[in-house]
Amino acid sequence: MDVASTGIQEPFDLIRLSLSERVFVKLRGDRELSGVLHAYDGHMNLILSDVEETIMIVEGEGEAAGRVNVAKRKMEMLFVRGDGVILISPPART
Amino acid sequence: MLIFSVFKTLTDQRVTVELKNDLSITGTLKSVDQFLNIRLDSIKVLDEARYPHMMAVKNCFIRGSVVRYVQLPAEHVDTQLLEDATRRESLNQGKR
Amino acid sequence: MSSLQGYVDRRVLLILQDGRVIVGTMAGFDQKSNVVLSDSKERTFSEDDGVQEVPLGLYLVKGDQIVLIGEIDEAIDSSIDLASIRAEPIASIHY
Repeated sequence: MDVASTGIQEPFDLIRLSLSERVFVKLRGDRELSGVLHAYDGHMNLILSDVEETIMIVEGEGEAAGRVNVAKRKMEMLFVRGDGVILISPPART
Repeated sequence: MLIFSVFKTLTDQRVTVELKNDLSITGTLKSVDQFLNIRLDSIKVLDEARYPHMMAVKNCFIRGSVVRYVQLPAEHVDTQLLEDATRRESLNQGKR
Repeated sequence: MSSLQGYVDRRVLLILQDGRVIVGTMAGFDQKSNVVLSDSKERTFSEDDGVQEVPLGLYLVKGDQIVLIGEIDEAIDSSIDLASIRAEPIASIHY
């Protein structure tokens, strides 16, 4: 993929080309989202639909210390505040 | 600006605001400003048994910077309109 | 500004970034949502004991420390037996 064929020159171009596509978002606090991207701005505030959130909870004490519990939940339409966003990954292209 | 406008179109709708301290509050969106500070009416805290702290609070002002998520009413969000507006705004930013 | 104007002279409840809960009468505020409370008290929550109220008097809270400001329904608030409420304190905000 070169610049001419994708039109990607800046990081935000990659996000713009992911509009209306399912993206993977990594957030602070061991959270990840998968959802369809409908809007974003320069702060990386996002609006996603059909969202699945995954929270990784590492057990801190007792027998299970160090084991990772995974909690999942679904949300229909979600605004995500940009200050929590670590990365946005576009859908895999084939 | 775009996100601010989206929230303005959702005035008087029910939304759920999830804060960075894990508190979730459902309420009627009364107003929003450019910092994305939010005013909610007729609020209900999720998991009231765990969070009785706000039992006597009926409306509130939430600082934008402490918001993690806002769950929006999907039927009041025009996703096509959002995508077009986002493309337009990103082009305008490129020209600056 | 999603204004705090409606809260002036009302009893309000503040939740702060460190999880503290403060009630008081909103005497004033400014653009940065700095808030002055009169007749204010901190409510401390615990799982083992009822809610304690610690008098703070006239108090200025910096806007950037505030998570939330709620208007208290005084009829409901006065009907609550604080001593009977058991709850863990609210978590602090981590970015």
